[in-house]
Amino acid sequence: MEREGASLSRRELLRMIGITAGSAAMYQAMDGLGLAAESPYKGPIDLQGAPQGASVLILGAGIAGMTAAYELRNAGYRVQVLEYNARSGGRNWSLRGGDTYTELGGFTQTCEFDKDLYINPGPWRIPYHHQGILSYAKRLRVALEPFFQVNYNAYLHSSSAFGGKPQRYREIKADYQGHVAELLAKATRQNALDAAVSKEDREKLLESLRAWGTLDKNYSYVSSDAGSDRRGYKKDPGGGLTARPVPSQPTGLHDILDSKLWQGIPTGDTYDMQTALFQPVGGMGRIGEAFGRELGALIRYNSKVTRIHQDDRGVTVNYVDTSAPDTALTAKADWCLCTIPLPILAQIPMNVGPAMSSAISAVPYAAAIKVGLQFKRRFWEEDEHIYGGITYTDLPITNIGYPNTGFFSSGKGVLLGAYIWGLNAMEFTAMTPPERVQRVLEYGSQIHPQYTREFDNGVAVAWHRSPFTMGCYGMWSTDARAKHYDDLCAIDGRIALAGEHASFIGGWQEGAVTSSLDAIGRLHRRAVAQGAKA
Amino acid sequence: MKRLGALLLAVSLAGAAAADDSAFTSSAGLGSAGGAEIYSHICQGCHMPEGRGAVGAGHYPTLAGNAALVSWQYVAITVLNGKNGMPAFGLPADQVMETRTVHLSDAQIADVVNYVRSSFGNRHKDKIAASQVAALPHPGVP
Repeated sequence: MEREGASLSRRELLRMIGITAGSAAMYQAMDGLGLAAESPYKGPIDLQGAPQGASVLILGAGIAGMTAAYELRNAGYRVQVLEYNARSGGRNWSLRGGDTYTELGGFTQTCEFDKDLYINPGPWRIPYHHQGILSYAKRLRVALEPFFQVNYNAYLHSSSAFGGKPQRYREIKADYQGHVAELLAKATRQNALDAAVSKEDREKLLESLRAWGTLDKNYSYVSSDAGSDRRGYKKDPGGGLTARPVPSQPTGLHDILDSKLWQGIPTGDTYDMQTALFQPVGGMGRIGEAFGRELGALIRYNSKVTRIHQDDRGVTVNYVDTSAPDTALTAKADWCLCTIPLPILAQIPMNVGPAMSSAISAVPYAAAIKVGLQFKRRFWEEDEHIYGGITYTDLPITNIGYPNTGFFSSGKGVLLGAYIWGLNAMEFTAMTPPERVQRVLEYGSQIHPQYTREFDNGVAVAWHRSPFTMGCYGMWSTDARAKHYDDLCAIDGRIALAGEHASFIGGWQEGAVTSSLDAIGRLHRRAVAQGAKA
Repeated sequence: MKRLGALLLAVSLAGAAAADDSAFTSSAGLGSAGGAEIYSHICQGCHMPEGRGAVGAGHYPTLAGNAALVSWQYVAITVLNGKNGMPAFGLPADQVMETRTVHLSDAQIADVVNYVRSSFGNRHKDKIAASQVAALPHPGVP
């Protein structure tokens, strides 16, 4: 539709469908055009006409809270942000050398990484279509660099297949594809698919299967140059007298199926993981830090909210400074945007109606842990030629994430040694931080034996022990969402909630940005309707 | 007889090691876990060693000396259904994937309820059985 000379632009077409057939039909049409699934972010929010002197109190200096503070301030509102931590960012956070982190239970870790090395305990990648968070990174002049979701030379690993030896992603992918293509070609040629494939399509299908699976002239998947060009050679082509390549041998279909490593093939195919993805240069926390600098004194740190009360004149929030918890402090505003994670908010007295109140208590938070490991050298690059990307394993560590930056540098390097969910995450959370690091080292050394010799130090963040979230992110069940989601997002009097928990992009920063913009848009309209001091 | 005893010991040690390890790789290991093991592998992540609880921006309730534990029903219903950010552990095994939580059987819930009510200085004498947990409302059941 973007082609020149097209009689109707896509936007025009959608507008006409919207006018003539209603929004449901327009949504269907958008879906067909692949638009509806995109982030609802549509560029900078327009908050014109803020009532003179109107004020908004924002609870939480994470991505949702700071997005709101930035926009509302720019729109002319008087803004104050209360933040529990001593830093901005919330889950947008990087742990760097010299940082200390005390988790619930009092376990304190000091990160001993070298200069410029870091781990992102929270979000670590931004898909290209998360245009909200990307636009704030741009506006705040946070430099971005590529994040590699898929690395064909990283591993897929099963502790019970191939003798526990990790397999290169490219080998598993090429062989799975090759064998499936061969089978499908065989079925086609034996006329087994005649009911589903017309005579006309039959030859086209066969041709495509040969190309897709690197099949030979007999439609067989065998050792070949074409196959090796996908899965890698036994001996790579080179120059001069040592030039002649030696093709590699495919792994058999049975072994591929039996290993279950095919499960790891589509990790880069989901919409959230498709190329291109980005990460801030220097760590994800650079976004939260830049937001914090931008907002400056609007954020009051070390502030623990103890009560939220609204009446017909405004909102009053009681809080304490975490360094002097006996002194009661108070903040007031006309309106309140609360981004406090639900497990904490559920424990704070707040006079909202039963609908919002039930919604706040209806969302369990995911258990997740991340472990950063510093090694004395970048052996994954030097020994195994893995530059960025992720290895997937059936071991409890689930992932090994290689740094997508600092390639070929000498000196130390930091891996994401584990990124764990579910039962395993609960079990790792229950350990002390040094135990977690120790177990992650033991598991990881099954994939990279260099771990034992090269390990330097590590940090482990278990999200249920995070004092400022008490969990990783809201895990909505379909049932809970049907019952409570709209009530969670609806403004109650003078209070609106925002954060990834108030979005359909749970656990992603884009959910925080878009829920925040949606909520402040509605708060703004209400404020405009009621005037400065309603 | 002596040899059989030694053999059994060896088997049970191997079994213990396997159970400990498999608890980290699948729900298979969890399935055979009792109250103390469930507490130390799961509950303690939030409620802390010795049921100490914790305080940050919010809090995890202290279980040691917690007056609410006088009611076994309260404890069992909380474990079954979760509370605030705490996940439900009583969902049917085939429904835990959606919220990435964990299924505990009624017998395991009874066991862990008995464990917390008789540990960390708590001395509630009444033990409950799986059938008593089974009689309580479970999440995820239409």
